[in-house]
Amino acid sequence: MIETIKKRDGRLAPFNEDRITRAIFLAASAVAEKEGTGADYRIAEGLTSQVVRRLNEKYASVSPSVEDVQDMVVKVLIENGHARTSEAYITYRNERTRVRDSHTRLMKAIEEITFADAKTADVKRENANINGNTAMGTMLEYGSAVSREFCKTHVIHPAHARAHDEGDIHIHDMDFLNMGTLTCCQIDIRKLFKGGFSTGHGFLREPQDVMSYAALAAIAIQSNQNDQHGGQSIPYFDCGIADGVRKTFRKLYVSNLAKALELLRGFDAKPAVKEAEARAEAETGRAIGLTDDAERDEAERNILAASLEAGKAELVKLQAFARREALDETDHRTYQAMEAFIHNLNTMHSRAGAQVPFSSINFGTDVSEEGRMVTRNLLLATEKGLGNGETPIFPILIFKVKEGVNYNPGDPNYDLLQLSCRVTSKRLFPNFSFLDAPFNAQYYKPGDPDTEATYMGCRTRVVGNRCGESTVSGRGNLSFTTINLPRLGIVHGQALGGTTDLGAFFKDLDGKIDLVIDQLLERMEIQGRRRVKNFPFLMGQGVWKGSDGMNDEDELLGVIRQGTLTVGFIGLAECLTALTGKHHGESAESQELGLKIVRHMRERMDQTSEQYDLNFSLIATPAEGLSGRFTRLDAKKFGAIPGITDREYYTNSFHVPVYYKIGVFDKIACEAPYHALTNGGHISYVELDGLGANNPEAFEAIVRAMKEAEIGYGSINHPVDRDPVCGYTGIIPGDVCPCCGRHESDGPVGFERIRRITGYLVGTLDRFNNAKRAEVRDRVKHNQCQTEEEAAEK
Amino acid sequence: MKIRLASPMTRDSIVDGPGLRAVIWTQGCFHNCLGCHNPCTHNPFGGFEMDTADLIAQLDSLHLQQGLTLSGGEPFLQARALAEVARAAHRRGLNVWAFTGFTFEQLTNRKNPSWADRMALLEQIDVLVDGRFERDKRDLSLRFRGSSNQRILDVKKSLAVQSACVIAEYMQQAM
Repeated sequence: MIETIKKRDGRLAPFNEDRITRAIFLAASAVAEKEGTGADYRIAEGLTSQVVRRLNEKYASVSPSVEDVQDMVVKVLIENGHARTSEAYITYRNERTRVRDSHTRLMKAIEEITFADAKTADVKRENANINGNTAMGTMLEYGSAVSREFCKTHVIHPAHARAHDEGDIHIHDMDFLNMGTLTCCQIDIRKLFKGGFSTGHGFLREPQDVMSYAALAAIAIQSNQNDQHGGQSIPYFDCGIADGVRKTFRKLYVSNLAKALELLRGFDAKPAVKEAEARAEAETGRAIGLTDDAERDEAERNILAASLEAGKAELVKLQAFARREALDETDHRTYQAMEAFIHNLNTMHSRAGAQVPFSSINFGTDVSEEGRMVTRNLLLATEKGLGNGETPIFPILIFKVKEGVNYNPGDPNYDLLQLSCRVTSKRLFPNFSFLDAPFNAQYYKPGDPDTEATYMGCRTRVVGNRCGESTVSGRGNLSFTTINLPRLGIVHGQALGGTTDLGAFFKDLDGKIDLVIDQLLERMEIQGRRRVKNFPFLMGQGVWKGSDGMNDEDELLGVIRQGTLTVGFIGLAECLTALTGKHHGESAESQELGLKIVRHMRERMDQTSEQYDLNFSLIATPAEGLSGRFTRLDAKKFGAIPGITDREYYTNSFHVPVYYKIGVFDKIACEAPYHALTNGGHISYVELDGLGANNPEAFEAIVRAMKEAEIGYGSINHPVDRDPVCGYTGIIPGDVCPCCGRHESDGPVGFERIRRITGYLVGTLDRFNNAKRAEVRDRVKHNQCQTEEEAAEK
Repeated sequence: MKIRLASPMTRDSIVDGPGLRAVIWTQGCFHNCLGCHNPCTHNPFGGFEMDTADLIAQLDSLHLQQGLTLSGGEPFLQARALAEVARAAHRRGLNVWAFTGFTFEQLTNRKNPSWADRMALLEQIDVLVDGRFERDKRDLSLRFRGSSNQRILDVKKSLAVQSACVIAEYMQQAM
């Protein structure tokens, strides 16, 4: 007689035949329910005794395993003519296996999150902006692990989950899929501030001063971040904050003029000045601003002369004094506001305190004196750095380059482009976006900043729109999923000794695109079923385009059509190497094929947009967690193939591999044509070696080269190191500070090494995941010169 | 004409003068400055020889470069060959910087037997960073210079007034 059964973990447990009966009965009930009949428990009992009898015969001396018992149940069911019940039983059994496996995987993940240090556990460094060693960071990672497992087993279509697990595709931010969050949003602060807004924890009045404008801009980013899983961007920051500068200047002008009059005349002149200022505006139709306005000044003077019986000559002097003082004070306050804004964005927490918001600021095209004051001070505050001179990690600054506005000497904001080049030579920000690139220029309408192409720091771009106006504010990406291009290249290419079959390659690629389209639509279904109340700030405060005036219980399917559904790709270089033996940086034929592949993907997106009347787009994926995952899976599957799977990472999107030596001009020329094709976002980097801070001219030359090559969004990487002990900022070769001569190992304080990873800066390499560490190690500088010291010391 | 170089021409340098620059690394130097970062360029028989015509041909493939920098090594030990290259660079719209361990005064000293060759090169240079590297005057905050005794000179102006004229913009500390 069987007395014990061997469980999956090897332990012996008492054999209990009631459990067999119950499983058979449940399976029978499932079948009966479909057929509209009832299941009979006694039949189940009868079948169970048959199972037990057969088990006793077969396992006389040993304990059967769970699997053995289940196999016997299936056998008995089939032999007794209960085929459908046996099918239901098998389904039930498979389901149990899947859930059990996911529990095991989950517990393993949780064990690693709990006990491993972020130094050694890659899972804790999946996102370089989260400190996985803190309690809140750990809690966030628990949530992530549980949610991802739940989505895979219960939410996502099994075919999509399988493709993800096997590494054909990568569903980004899968842990947020069940929550139905949208990725990111471009926030129009002008609209948000008008009349004030609520954070869900209290109401904020419309700001009246540049300091509060900047503070509220940070709060808006923070609040919206809690409703989304991606980044937050402000499309025309200069323009949005300029109103605050205007209000501050006006207040200070009135106050200074009143004070001057009070000093001279000995009475409180404030009411009279306030009235005169207001009436002058009514008469001329122009408010006081930073720009000189003789007509308005005269109107104000006439009113004051009448009401105060003051001489006009004296009033001219007083007005000039008030203007001068107000200008100085406003400039100073704007600087402080920008400084506070940057400090806030590097310290205010989101997501249970484990992260700061992912913030990006687009600016540079407002040519009003007020807007220019914002841009100038934002740049100067960034140049100054944080409290101890540290390079600010946030916000990501994006300077919008536009001919006639700031590109050429003589353009009104050319000085600000030059300042941007100087600041980026020291602080790695700003990045540069190019409104003259044809694919951006097609939306541009002079005077309407809402038509200026906007980028999220990570490179996402949302402008074109078939579901409404092609404007930027209140819109963002819904979700994106990446296709593993190198694998397709390996399967259909010559890398493994076969011959390249491009026809099969494109057919397979189309299959993957179809799969991803299905998956994006399925996810959109989930997102669309969410209600306004699920996103109290994004939707509740009308930040998202079209969400104004909706009720808490309204579903979102209608308004999220303003966003983009996006297919991404990784490793074009490895894919081409697998297909042809060379990547696109090495060979013109490969470049031609690379463009053909990416153009094909883009055409599929355009067709799909048409088919569903939705905004499908193609992105050059900003892969962080993904940079090593596909490569690990493919190396396991195909082995280490030189130039393809023999590194820890796949090359980012359409980039020329970081380890390949190529000049600045050639790199830009090679990557530029892909910008036009990737309408969902793109970026090109130039890596420089040597101290950048001494040579802003070089940065301007590169920015100009990017613009001329019609790149959409670009950025220049160069090393920025800092010794926190002596305060030296520059390049620290090896482990000795060239300024104070101390060894890094001398004390507990290490050097800071600011590097860029998928668009974001990170102050320490500790939080880079293994693949990204390897990539930073391999990065070849696109100027192969010696360091500044080496060049000068001879 | 033959020229002896320490390494192939560098492009896109950001530390050898303003803008992106091409750099020629000459081989051979006798200044022997303490703390020199390029000691492998000292041996006058090291490196490799090439024809100036081939070097000049390389200038045609440059993009984005604001100028050419002559470095090394001591460029003024191969003044005649470099004058030819520098002239070709100017014809292609590149400005020319040179780093030397000599001082402007030494280079313009008529008593030196190499005076004529050196002047021929000097006349083809826009900006000269002159003087030996002196380790005790090393200062990391200097622009394009290693030690504070070195000067960044406007060569045209200096030759015209026959006295070294520094370029204030570059002599100021950038950071």
